Amino acid sequence: MPEVSVIVPVVERPDPLTTVYQEAAAPLAEAGISAEFVFVSYPWFRPLTDALAALRAAGAPIRVLEVGHALGETAVLKAAAAEAAGQILATVPAYPQADPSGLPALIAQVRAGSDLAVGRRWPRRDSLINRFQNRVLHLLVGALGGGRLHDVACGLRAMRRDLLGQLPLYGDFVRFLPLLAMRDGYRVEEVAVPVHPRSMRGRLYSPGVYLRRLFDVLGLIFLFKFTDKPLRFFGLIGSALSSIGGALLLLVLIQRLAGQPLADRPLLLLGVLLMTLGAQAIALGLIGEIIVHLSAAGRRGYRLRGSQPSARPRAPAA
Amino acid sequence: MQLSVVVPLYNEEESVGPLVEAVRAALPASLEWELLLVDDGSRDGTVASIGAFTAADPRVRLVPLARNYGQTQAMQAGFDAAEGDVVVSMDGDLQNDPQDIPRLLATLEQGYDLVAGYRQRRQDDLVTRKIPSWIANRAIRAVTGVDIRDNGCSLKAYRRWTLDRMDLYSDMHRFLPALAAATAGARITEIPVRHHSRRYGHSKYGLSRVLKILADLLTITMIMWFRERPLTLFGTAAIIAFAIGAGFLTASAVAIWQIHAGMATAFVLPASGLLCILLGCYLLMLGLVAQVFLHHTRQDRASPPPIAVERFA
Repeated sequence: MPEVSVIVPVVERPDPLTTVYQEAAAPLAEAGISAEFVFVSYPWFRPLTDALAALRAAGAPIRVLEVGHALGETAVLKAAAAEAAGQILATVPAYPQADPSGLPALIAQVRAGSDLAVGRRWPRRDSLINRFQNRVLHLLVGALGGGRLHDVACGLRAMRRDLLGQLPLYGDFVRFLPLLAMRDGYRVEEVAVPVHPRSMRGRLYSPGVYLRRLFDVLGLIFLFKFTDKPLRFFGLIGSALSSIGGALLLLVLIQRLAGQPLADRPLLLLGVLLMTLGAQAIALGLIGEIIVHLSAAGRRGYRLRGSQPSARPRAPAA
Repeated sequence: MQLSVVVPLYNEEESVGPLVEAVRAALPASLEWELLLVDDGSRDGTVASIGAFTAADPRVRLVPLARNYGQTQAMQAGFDAAEGDVVVSMDGDLQNDPQDIPRLLATLEQGYDLVAGYRQRRQDDLVTRKIPSWIANRAIRAVTGVDIRDNGCSLKAYRRWTLDRMDLYSDMHRFLPALAAATAGARITEIPVRHHSRRYGHSKYGLSRVLKILADLLTITMIMWFRERPLTLFGTAAIIAFAIGAGFLTASAVAIWQIHAGMATAFVLPASGLLCILLGCYLLMLGLVAQVFLHHTRQDRASPPPIAVERFA
């Protein structure tokens, strides 16, 4: 039984997978860590995973898992974690990002009692474009982790086996795994790892990608601040909008009484619209509260140290 | 149990006998199988016809529903009662041929989680059945990206682990391959199957179902692409609304300052712009509420991870 399962999600722009394997396997072997490699991929990447068959035949501890539909990195990682044998899970990106020579240090951190160890590419020697994007991301979400994390989206991680199943992971939230783990009180450590020598060049993505990331970040911030109290967010916004709307209407009314005609004034319309939007916001907040209230039944919002998230300790008597 | 055959039946008393005989004749004796006949609240002698077989042959079982729920729920009831490692669903009107089942099983063995049949030389009316079905299938394929040319054919084979990750509701039976892809990450393929014309009874479908399917397409789009990221969908819509609104406001600014300040028609532009922008705000808030809902349902019920199968086992 290997101690560590190294999961490589092969979902987008992968490198030659034999290279990925060799670069990650060498430092592990050097550190004397017993590991299996779990590549998880889609059927349309078979030409890439084919290359692993020869290594596997030569005795390399490689498994290739396939998911039949493009479900994204979060779902694919969960599927692989369910099949992995090791007590510690590590993830290695299938493209050059953080250098896998940092893996043994991450694994040592988990052995020493951390729930999650995440790489931090440091010192950054890659292009200014990459660093700038990283900086913007952390300006937006860094505070959610108390400012302790500097590279939340780093694909090089090691974690306790059961961590993934205990976090609310959906959509593309695996990118923010360290933040979500910290939110639920797991011990997260950051370990400096070198930048991969082939990732020095700057990477830019299509506008659609940035748009999706923007919504991810927005959803994450909202999750941290308001998922348990939606009415506080929507109520605040709603009453602010309604008040502004009301004030505008009052202004228009006063001006009308002073003799100014109403018919061609956008300000009147703006006032009415702001008031309706405010009412809608409050209504949405109330719906949010109903959702939170109903889903709180039988569940506990706390987790005892070292245990799973809680259900209701005693079931009600029949 | 190796194989469960699930057949939903609604007012098909004449079909039951030939159906059971056909299934018995089609399946090899070496195979361990059961036949689940789901009575979907029939008001004719369907239950009595089934009873004649269940007494004599323990492999044939009746799953009686409390009332007529429709095909989707009838299939789900059959799937829930099925004990086989592989489950095959088919219609109860004898239009599917059980002789195709061994071929479905063989295809499943080649590394698939769901094998759908498509009806070759379909024996149905051209105008009321075939053309609407062709349009619907094209639309479903375009929206879901799942390459199945005949979603309406009930003859399909599933691995147990695929069904364990699917929960059917509403009229989902038309979108089973898409649902299997989205929720289970199933590997899906299709093979040609035989199709016979109806021998007994009459069709329970009408032309109106095409409109229903087109409406359901929106639902399936949501399930396929935005089930786990509603904010992306609502947010994108909001951005479009913001852009249109900004266009209107720019136009109105130009109109007000360049042409005729206070011209009555200039009022229309800022009004439209404001409406669009506030719509964008509203959509964004809806997306956030959806996110709240997603987060809380996800904490409640740990859904199983998608199917991941060893490639070099």
